[in-house]
Amino acid sequence: MSTAEHERGHETYTAAETRYVSVQDSPEFQELRRRYRGWVLPVTAGALIWYFAYVALAAYAPDFMGQKLAGNINVGLVLGLLQFVSTFVVTALYIRHADKVLDPVSARLRQQFEDGDR
Amino acid sequence: MSGTGSALLAVALVVVATVGIGVGGLRLARSTSDFLVASRTVSPLWNASAIGGEYLSAASFLGVAGLVLAYGADALWYPVGFVAGYFLLLLFVAAPLRRSGAYTVPDFAEVRLGSDRLRRLCALAVLAIGLLYLVPQLQGAGLALRATTGAKVWVGAVLVAVVVTGNVAGGGMRSATFVQACQYWLKLTALAVPVVFLLLAWQADARPDLAGPAGPVFRAQTTVQVDADVRFVVAEPVQVVVDGQPRRLEAGAHRLERGARAVFPEGAAVPHVVGLAPATGTSWAQPLSGAGGVEHPLYATYALVVATFLGTMGLPHVLVRFYTNPDGRAARRTTLVVLALLGAFYLLPALYGALGRLYTPELLLTGRTDAVVLALPVAAVGGPLGQALQALLVAGAFAAFLSTSSGLLVTCAGVLAQDLLPAGRRGTVRGFQLATVLGGAAALALALPAAALPLTQVVGLAFAVAASTFCPLLVLGIWWRGLTAQGAAAGLLVGGGLSALAVTTTLTGAVDGGWAGALLAQPAAWTAPTAFAVMVTGSLLTRSTVPADVGRTMLRLHAPETLGLPPEPDRSAPGSTARRSQPVARRTGA
Repeated sequence: MSTAEHERGHETYTAAETRYVSVQDSPEFQELRRRYRGWVLPVTAGALIWYFAYVALAAYAPDFMGQKLAGNINVGLVLGLLQFVSTFVVTALYIRHADKVLDPVSARLRQQFEDGDR
Repeated sequence: MSGTGSALLAVALVVVATVGIGVGGLRLARSTSDFLVASRTVSPLWNASAIGGEYLSAASFLGVAGLVLAYGADALWYPVGFVAGYFLLLLFVAAPLRRSGAYTVPDFAEVRLGSDRLRRLCALAVLAIGLLYLVPQLQGAGLALRATTGAKVWVGAVLVAVVVTGNVAGGGMRSATFVQACQYWLKLTALAVPVVFLLLAWQADARPDLAGPAGPVFRAQTTVQVDADVRFVVAEPVQVVVDGQPRRLEAGAHRLERGARAVFPEGAAVPHVVGLAPATGTSWAQPLSGAGGVEHPLYATYALVVATFLGTMGLPHVLVRFYTNPDGRAARRTTLVVLALLGAFYLLPALYGALGRLYTPELLLTGRTDAVVLALPVAAVGGPLGQALQALLVAGAFAAFLSTSSGLLVTCAGVLAQDLLPAGRRGTVRGFQLATVLGGAAALALALPAAALPLTQVVGLAFAVAASTFCPLLVLGIWWRGLTAQGAAAGLLVGGGLSALAVTTTLTGAVDGGWAGALLAQPAAWTAPTAFAVMVTGSLLTRSTVPADVGRTMLRLHAPETLGLPPEPDRSAPGSTARRSQPVARRTGA
């Protein structure tokens, strides 16, 4: 966020608050934000595209969506059920990402925070 | 036992169990609650069950099946959106909000923007959304009792309003995690067990086609009893018996008086209530076919997706549930389990809606499609077994009304007591009780005269208001430093005002059909972006009022909570921190 420095100019810091600034300036914190955004933004975009593509398919390819697969089950219905599944899968992936990628950086940040502070 | 008797018994059991555990077992419940909040050994499954118990309301238990019956595949977007909204909430809002220490949106507004006026504006929005959400719960209760016992429609609404108000005011909701977790499983069981028998009945009938080229027909000679005047359209002339008199209904609009009994012959096409267009099985099963007579189905679907995806995070009370997890890691796991529980639940209403086209098509004539879940067991299975299954469903439905209404009323009464009552009454137990009674009475006063729109549609409107108010406030507040109190207030007023206008015109039926009707019936697609735009523009215009401590607040929201950063110093008037909501008794659902 580019306004950070500008805003900081207006603030006066207590001892406790300088700790915040030191955290914010640390490469680990920036790394944490980068990794969070690098994963969350593309995955969310992908998920939203998939939801909206389903609606678009229904609008512009009704024959495809209406194709019967078995008995009363058509393609649209199966893809619709997959919306639930995909929401679950994306969330599971996020949790894995948070556990494996985000949490270790948090732990490093915490370590550094505690070491440097006292 | 008669069907009425077993249904009443089921309702009584659920009410007694809810109140009994809430009040009688307060001591036990209190220690359970302490255990849940404090201990790291709470399983995410337990916590997720409580979230599901609170979130799955009348709209989910009864309403989704009714919409599937009437409008077909497009109605499935409601449950998809109810679930996917949780995903966006998890990714963008839950963790920073948890770190901010705010339990409600008004708390968040104060923490982030330091404005007491904005806080009160948020409190008003919480009330508006909460009441809009309460109305269909009470109406659903009236509908369920009428459908199963023939009681007048106000009876169920008053019953739930009185039980919930008394329970909440008496403190019985203070530690409802246990009750609500049980209610999730009751709701799931109540839908899952009957569906097995319904599918067996369908199998035994040689699996009649659900999605064929035909429209809905009466499978056997059917007696339709109407409990309110109804106007319907007959497509092909049909010979019927009305109150014992043979009568030929020509093609066109007809009317049945309240209390009339009409007997339709086997194989006749089902006339549809005015406003609902008949659909062939093929178009019913196909997304965006406009089945049921939805105008501009593509717009309606996109707008519904926006409302549910963005509205979930804006429901003022859902967030607090993330606090009952020991840490962010457990909160993430809980969300995953919630998604699994909700997904499993939502498969069932779709089945009820589909089977309803075969076995209870007369609901399309009376327009009472929300009753399909309750009507199916008697129609398809029949006999004492059918009645027992119906009683189970009534129990599940009342679990839904009670759990969601309680959570909503607690939230509404909480903000009322904390932010809107005269200063002398704020924050006291008496004040909370007074607020509870006021909130319950207001919801009942709105529910009784309001037009009986489909339950899920009204809940969808509550989502639209939330998506046009709290969603932009939370997303911009968490992710954009430039937000100001004035900008936020302007966005809340414009987004809330526009969506409230749309809700009012839809509920009163002032605008009918066409593009205007479609835009007002599903407003989120234009009101939510407008609210975002106003908030951003307003904030840019008042740039000089960006809170001086925004850097510190933002860091607090985004730094890992394991850092144990010092708590935020109290920077407003004395007593302000004390007004911040307590985690106790703040919860609710969809």
